[in-house]
Amino acid sequence: MRITLHGVTVRFGTRTVLDALDIELTEQRIGVIGANGSGKSTFARLLNGLVLPAEGTVLVGGHDTAKDVRRIRRQVGFVFQNPDNQIVLPLVEEDMAFGLRNTGVPRKEIPGRVREQLAHLGITALADRPSHALSGGEKQLVALAAVLVMRPETVVFDEPTTLLDLRNRNLIRDTVAALPQQAVVLTHDLDLLTGFDRVLVLDRGRVVHDGPPRTAVPWYVERCS
Amino acid sequence: MRMSLYVPGTSPLHRAGARWKLAALLLCGVAVFLTTSVAVLGPAAAVALALLLSVRAPREQLVRQLRGPLLVLAAVVAVAALTESVHAALVVGLRLVVLLLSALSVTLTTRTSELQDVLELVLRPLDRAGLVNASAVALAVSLALRFIPEVFRQFQEIREAQAARGLRGSPLALVVPLVIRVLRSAEDIAAAIDARCYPPARTGDLDRHERLSGKAPG
Repeated sequence: MRITLHGVTVRFGTRTVLDALDIELTEQRIGVIGANGSGKSTFARLLNGLVLPAEGTVLVGGHDTAKDVRRIRRQVGFVFQNPDNQIVLPLVEEDMAFGLRNTGVPRKEIPGRVREQLAHLGITALADRPSHALSGGEKQLVALAAVLVMRPETVVFDEPTTLLDLRNRNLIRDTVAALPQQAVVLTHDLDLLTGFDRVLVLDRGRVVHDGPPRTAVPWYVERCS
Repeated sequence: MRMSLYVPGTSPLHRAGARWKLAALLLCGVAVFLTTSVAVLGPAAAVALALLLSVRAPREQLVRQLRGPLLVLAAVVAVAALTESVHAALVVGLRLVVLLLSALSVTLTTRTSELQDVLELVLRPLDRAGLVNASAVALAVSLALRFIPEVFRQFQEIREAQAARGLRGSPLALVVPLVIRVLRSAEDIAAAIDARCYPPARTGDLDRHERLSGKAPG
C-alpha cells in the first residue's frame, strides 16, 4: 500500500516533533530507526491517524488520515511496544474479537476468524487464557494476532521486541518476516532489519538517512559511535 | 490476582446464554427471599451445589473463591443463631448459600464479553434516550476487569522497588507513583482502543452489527 507524507509537521505544544517530512512508503518491509526522542513513535502514529499533523497531509492508500481515519485504521494495524496496554479484554479470544466487533464483522463469523488467526500464529492453546497471565512473548503474539485478525493491509510495529527475551525476540522476528502484509517496523534492534527493503533513520524529527539496510544500518551505527 | 473468574468448559451452563443465566440468577435472588421454609431452601441449596459442580471448575479455584464468603456466611449464621433462633439462622444461611453458589456458577461460565453484551442490552433504552452510551459503559466494565490485576501488579512492583531501597509503610509514597503509572498506561490503552476502530461501527444496537456485514474488512 502506498503511504505518502506531504510536508508533515507535528508539534506537541511549542515543541516540533516531526519537521516537514516528505516521504513515500511503498516497500513491503520498512524499518525506522533513531535515538530515543527522534520522533519514531510519533511517525508511526501518523500512519494510522493516532496522531494528526499540524501541517501537511498523510495519505494512506489515497485516503487522508485527517478525513477518513476509520477506514485507515481498518487498513493499517498497529502493534504497540507494551502488549500489556494493548490487550484490552480479560480473555485472549475476547480481546481478539474486540476489533472485529468494532468493524461490524458479523457475530457468527468472529469465532472462526479468531481461531483461524490463533492457529496461523501457532497459539491456539492461548484462546481461553486470561490475558494478564500470559508470558511477555505470548502477550506480544496475542497483541499481534489481535491486529492481524482484522486483516489490515499494513502493520506498524512500535519497537515490538524491546520488552522481550532472546527467544521471544526471535519468535517475533520470524513472525514479522513471514507476514504477507506490508510492515513498518520501528526498532532499536538492528538485527530485526535484516532482509528489509528500506530503512529510514530519524533524528530530531527529520529523516537524516534513507536507504537499504546495508547502507542505512552502518551509517546509523557510525553516527551513534 | 484474578478478576475474571471464567473457566473454559462445555457444561450446560457454559452453553446457556448469558442473558438467561443472569435473568435466572435475578429470579433466584428474589425467590429465596419469598420463602422461609427450610424444606424448600434446603433442596434449593442442593440444586445450586449440583449446578456449581456441573461446571467442573478446578477444585483449588472453587476453594479459593468460596473460602472468604463461607467464613463470612458462617459468622452471619452464628450471629443469627445467637440473637434469633436456629431456624432463622438456617434460613439465612441457606438463602446465602443458594445465592453464593448460583452467582459463582454464572460467573464461572460466562465470559466478560457476554456480560458486556447483556449490559449493553440492559442499557439500550437509556442509550436510545441519549442518557448513557451503553457501549462505552460496557467497555468500561470490561476494562476494569482486565486492568485491575495490572494495577495490582504495578502496585506490587512499586512496593518491592521501595522496599529494596529501605522505604516501608508509606502509603503516599506508594500511591503517587502508582497513579502516575496508571495515568501513563491509560494514554496508551486509549490509543490501543482507538487503533482497533473503537467506537463500534454503530453503537448501542447489537443487531445492527449484523447488518453491517457487507462493510466488514477483508
